[in-house]
Amino acid sequence: MTEVLARRSSRALALGLGALFVLAACGGGGGSSGGGGASTTDVTVWTAWGGAELKAFQDVLKPFESSSGIKVHLTTNRDSTNQIANGIAAGTDLPDIAPGPTDPKQVKDWVSKGAIKPIETALGDQFQAYISNTYPALTTPPGGASDDLYIGVVGGKHYEEMVKTQVKGLIWYNKKVYNGDAPKSFSDLLAIDPSKYGASKLFCAGFESGAASGWPASDQIDNIIMRQSGDQVYTSWIQGKTKFSSDAIKQGYQTFLKEVSPATVYGGTNTVLSTNFAKAGDPMFKSPAGCLFLEQATFITSFFQQDFPSLNLKAGTDFDFFAHPSMGQSQYDGNVNGFYDNFSMYNDTPAARKLMQYMATKDAQQIWANDGGTLGAIKSLNYTDPVFKRAADVAGSAKNLLVTAGDFMPSDMQKAFWQSLLNVTNNPGSLNSELAHLDQVQAAAYSS
Amino acid sequence: MAGITPDQIITAVVAVVGVPLVLLGYIILGELVIERLPDSVQGWIRPYFWALPAVGFATIFMVYPLIRTVIISFRNSDDTDWATGAWGAFANYHYFFTFPDTLTSLRNSLLWLVFYTFFAVFFGLIIAILVDRVRYETIAKIAVFLPVPISAVAASIIWKFMFDYQPPGATQTGTLNALLSVAHHDPVAWLVNATTNNAALIFVGIWTATGFCMVIISASLKAISSEVLEAARIDGANEFQIVRLVVTPLLWPTITVVGTTMIINALKTFDIVYVMTNGAYNTDVIATQMFFQLQHNHNSRAAAVGVVLFLAIVPLLVVNIRRFQQQEEQR
Repeated sequence: MTEVLARRSSRALALGLGALFVLAACGGGGGSSGGGGASTTDVTVWTAWGGAELKAFQDVLKPFESSSGIKVHLTTNRDSTNQIANGIAAGTDLPDIAPGPTDPKQVKDWVSKGAIKPIETALGDQFQAYISNTYPALTTPPGGASDDLYIGVVGGKHYEEMVKTQVKGLIWYNKKVYNGDAPKSFSDLLAIDPSKYGASKLFCAGFESGAASGWPASDQIDNIIMRQSGDQVYTSWIQGKTKFSSDAIKQGYQTFLKEVSPATVYGGTNTVLSTNFAKAGDPMFKSPAGCLFLEQATFITSFFQQDFPSLNLKAGTDFDFFAHPSMGQSQYDGNVNGFYDNFSMYNDTPAARKLMQYMATKDAQQIWANDGGTLGAIKSLNYTDPVFKRAADVAGSAKNLLVTAGDFMPSDMQKAFWQSLLNVTNNPGSLNSELAHLDQVQAAAYSS
Repeated sequence: MAGITPDQIITAVVAVVGVPLVLLGYIILGELVIERLPDSVQGWIRPYFWALPAVGFATIFMVYPLIRTVIISFRNSDDTDWATGAWGAFANYHYFFTFPDTLTSLRNSLLWLVFYTFFAVFFGLIIAILVDRVRYETIAKIAVFLPVPISAVAASIIWKFMFDYQPPGATQTGTLNALLSVAHHDPVAWLVNATTNNAALIFVGIWTATGFCMVIISASLKAISSEVLEAARIDGANEFQIVRLVVTPLLWPTITVVGTTMIINALKTFDIVYVMTNGAYNTDVIATQMFFQLQHNHNSRAAAVGVVLFLAIVPLLVVNIRRFQQQEEQR
């Protein structure tokens, strides 16, 4: 009897569980489908920004949300490129809008898979205005629109909308310490005697930046090479067509080594290699000053102010910059090193298009300029900060605004390039073997 | 993270509730069928029926990826055709065994294997034996064990501060350089200097692993009967002789197991190197090399590195499992 009962109950249990089994299977099917759709009311955006940069972006988005009625779902994601790459490979949902990758091979790959939508599509009839308003170097490769493997241009189409820029290779100084004029040439700069101004060394430098260590050094050598050997050599080097052991690039490394020689830099080689880029300029504001100059991009001003809250440092009165001096080749003096922030569209929805169109407008970009710490991508913005006003002049008067080399090399080339700069700074005698190694990496990185 | 969609919630519920339900349904429905079979068949089929889900999961999530990795290691980076180049289809292996960067990582992994394993086990053994003889054993063990639960990333960040470098003459914020400055020695850029950086990284590894070795060895030390030690003392052995001739041989099976585990850890080392130097100044190891290859879209090279690492670890796993089996048999 009990056995029969047990059988019955177990059968009932089995039937119930069997039914659940079927339900669960259906649920699984239902869960994986659905999602997305061409939304006119919602747009998902990823950004790597945090802190003040994120706040500025939220300020930019506010007027858009209230005027268009579109809700922007903003997520800070510092690993967005890897996650989007995984999403593309797995075929899962992507954000509607997120930064496009800098690695040109990745851009090409994503375009070929149809994952990134052209800016031409996103902006529609506003596209021409975008091209004519934006700094030309951010939209046009030096070799013309068909020059692939550069700033998000593939097959003549644009895949990255430029929204912000930074000018790199500026020489910053403490106005209370250095009261001389801007040197006419790089050799004049190297010839300045820091003791005349009460500083112990000519330059400060800090190349440490966690997993990206070496990039501050790469900015310095980029600024040398583009003014020493010209934009064409510079671009062909980025594209892997000029070897590292070529005369032009080797000369760049040799000049760079003069800039970071133990006699020239504060604290010597170990200090340069162990100091984080954000703290590199601190000795300029110590008393007595550890150094006269720091070469860095426009964004560094916020670090000066952060590191010395008690000094209440003011841009233009306490610290200032002069543009990177000539390398003695006047035809290349118009080459300026810039960096940009961009957005790409991954889902072509009406709401995403509207946001892309809005971010390209002068109104939107002016909000970025007002919040400070950056230049917009549009030429004709107004800056209240005197330092950024002058930086915008530098960018605006540039003949070529050239991107940062390492960012546009395949990522393994970039890593080897950055680390080579650390290695030669550490041991200048290894220059030739480092360059030979870089040639090897270059051959392997661009071929496969 | 913000931005969780209803779809994701449904998927999560299905995964958490649905999968166990499906398994339960499989077992109950399957048993209903098996019950009706003749007894002889039942006895034969039931173990396979019960083992099938586990074997199935292992096949899908371990065996298949393993085979796929081996295949990818012979393919080109886009997985469109077989690899070509030096050594033909073995081009990715040619790269691994000839390229200077990967060779450096291979050398460093060997350094890790030898020094990390030796010192972690050696210190673990010594500390286990020493604290066994003192009254404050628990406190001493806790102190040595404390680094074990700390994640390697956190440990690396702690040690980055310990190794911090400031210019000579300035106040040293790094503990080690502060100690050196007390001794009127110039600061050392531990993570930059080629003679100290690998040692510094391996030291962090040893710091996080010694406690683990100590705990395991100590447990096995407690199992040694005090009568054995007493007998040795009565026979006139001094304490050093007891440790060398009695305790260590009795601990040997445990030391081998701990040692092989440490070797496997050494070969897998990734986080400490990634966080502290990211492989700069020739500190790459095999695992970081594999990660970089993946990151740089060289999937087939990464697969080749993975296969080499796998082949290096397999003999150790075999030794380890054999040891476990022997210990089981002894019991």
